[in-house]
Amino acid sequence: MTEGDYRHVYIIVEHEEGKLLQVSLEMIGEARRMLDDFNKRYSSKEKVVAVLLGYNIKDISRVLIQHGADAVICSDNPELRYVRNTIYTKTIFQIATDREIAAKIEPEYAIQFKRPRYMFFAADSIGRHLSSTVLAHLESGLASDINKLVVGDLQITHQNKTGGKPMTYEKTLEMYRPDFSGFLWTTILCLDNKNPAMQKDYHPQSCSIIPGVFDIIKPDPSRNGITIEYVPKFDAQDLRVRIIDRKIIKSEIDFDSHKTIVSFGRGIKDSPEQNIKMIEELASELDAQVGITLPLSKKPFSVSQAVDSTYLIPDRVIGTSGRKVSPKVYIAVGISGAMQHISGMRDSEFIVAINPDEDAPIKDECDVFIKGRMEDVVPILIEEIRKQKQVVQA
Amino acid sequence: MDPVNVAVIVKMEPDFSEGNVSYNPDGTLNRAETKNILGPHSAIAVNAAFYAKIKHGAKISICTMGPPVAESMLQHSQLMSDADELYLYSDRIFAGADTLATAEVLKSGILKMQGKMDIVFSGHRASDGETGQTGPQTAWKLGMTFLGNVIDYEIDPESRTIRVKRLVRLQGIYDVVEEVEAPLPVFIAIDPSYKPKFNTVSQRLAYEKYQKEARQRSQDFKQYLKVLNAAQIEADPKLIGISGSPTIVYKVERIPKGKATRQAEIIDGSDQEQIRRIVAKMRQSLSTMVIK
Repeated sequence: MTEGDYRHVYIIVEHEEGKLLQVSLEMIGEARRMLDDFNKRYSSKEKVVAVLLGYNIKDISRVLIQHGADAVICSDNPELRYVRNTIYTKTIFQIATDREIAAKIEPEYAIQFKRPRYMFFAADSIGRHLSSTVLAHLESGLASDINKLVVGDLQITHQNKTGGKPMTYEKTLEMYRPDFSGFLWTTILCLDNKNPAMQKDYHPQSCSIIPGVFDIIKPDPSRNGITIEYVPKFDAQDLRVRIIDRKIIKSEIDFDSHKTIVSFGRGIKDSPEQNIKMIEELASELDAQVGITLPLSKKPFSVSQAVDSTYLIPDRVIGTSGRKVSPKVYIAVGISGAMQHISGMRDSEFIVAINPDEDAPIKDECDVFIKGRMEDVVPILIEEIRKQKQVVQA
Repeated sequence: MDPVNVAVIVKMEPDFSEGNVSYNPDGTLNRAETKNILGPHSAIAVNAAFYAKIKHGAKISICTMGPPVAESMLQHSQLMSDADELYLYSDRIFAGADTLATAEVLKSGILKMQGKMDIVFSGHRASDGETGQTGPQTAWKLGMTFLGNVIDYEIDPESRTIRVKRLVRLQGIYDVVEEVEAPLPVFIAIDPSYKPKFNTVSQRLAYEKYQKEARQRSQDFKQYLKVLNAAQIEADPKLIGISGSPTIVYKVERIPKGKATRQAEIIDGSDQEQIRRIVAKMRQSLSTMVIK
């Protein structure tokens, strides 16, 4: 690779009919913080570039700039009103490899520009698939579900990438990804093959980012930025994929209108069926909604069909792979406190955890830690709630 | 009218069910002690293909990239779907592949299958890797229209088109069920909530018939199985395995315990007196909301 072939961070913005998804601003915020530091360290002037596709969306450009974007590349076209994978992938590919656009973003870097240095997508229904096809098209690497990013100059020795010799990779994006257990962090790198026997560039270095992880920058109405319009080239064949109908649906599990949420995790394992029934009883005493941790949605326990289809479902998952909640009272039953779960409930006002293990990470995230097996504690809790309700009624 | 031709890509994964899954003391998965099975999302993709067989008599080919032991998982897939052909792509050179290099193998394998595919199915994502990238990347390499999060589909064999319903979750806004029409061929990543419906009598009869056939076939599954290496599927060695993988795993670490965000009061779970006090506290928290 020649220094200068790859420049800037491109962020694929998501919105619904012009209403921005929060994660779009979160990605821009993180890119802003990252590049401010990057430009200082490397005395460069690379830019935060938002890529915006849709129809009747020109107003959003300003919002993106106020939240940290230096440039917005905007394709406003009725064919792009809703996301269709093929035309979106091709349009993003065209934008990412367009030198004329690069010239408008930063003239000094345009002559050599081939592709973005980094690219961010949202790890959600849209971005997950779009990132996969865009990077297949660009033939570069992609890490998914990232919750921490670091840029560094790394010394790498790799049989394949460097032919077994130590080599330095400058400005490399370390992409941290929590695994399914929530206890391990895997750092993924996307590296050019510098091995002389099989040289090949892999850029942009790309990832999908978990919604709700990064902070949004406070909007600054005085921030300046440029908006670049791009007219996409469509293949007629691709337009034969048509969206015929769209229906808005509400999730069956409503967390927002409940003041209390009772969640459970693998701690129910000794007698899953009875324990879930007990939690159901506790929730009903408190008029609470019931949540679960991610591993429970993988149906690790054999329970009755009714319990399974009511409780062990993805719609109830609280955490980075599910819903983010902030009730008045949150009761975590048999939950150890994997980071993925914590980030979905840490904004709750009053948190009670029931767990036999005092070393469980949940202890540091709750207001009251009731040490004990749920089988012993929950019945007492239910009894006390009933008693205190009676007092009030009397 | 040509018969409908479908393929399914499946993955062998750790069995996360209690009693089979084994965790290390630090909470991470103990891979050596955990059994491997047909991944639950892959199983849903197999079910979706079976639906095409019942409705349209589709021919089903199921493939996977994996070690030789993955053949028992293909046998299981055949039992579920009465698959006509099974393919195991197995070669030491495939090892260490990231999603892009895996997609290259699957693409090469699918192109080598008998006849052109009308639909290729994949699961939503694997339970262990969880990237959900291999499906769409295989679709792109095959040049097929990619349709993800599909909860329902109907083929029109005459016009060679398909109608699907997709569940799109727009976090923080709402969920949308989107109906899409597309010309075949298409690649479908099936949503976890997909459930095939067999309404008519003839469909239920077909279901019985194919299930019976599936039981017979799967007893003799090796007759339907082809084990192919990189050369046999004509995969480009530069694009597969470690050589074809843009990404590497740089390090794996335990996620450091963050600073305690709250100072918990610790209570003995058998102390009813204390629990009474906590319940009162909870009730107080709840009632302040009402006053506001």
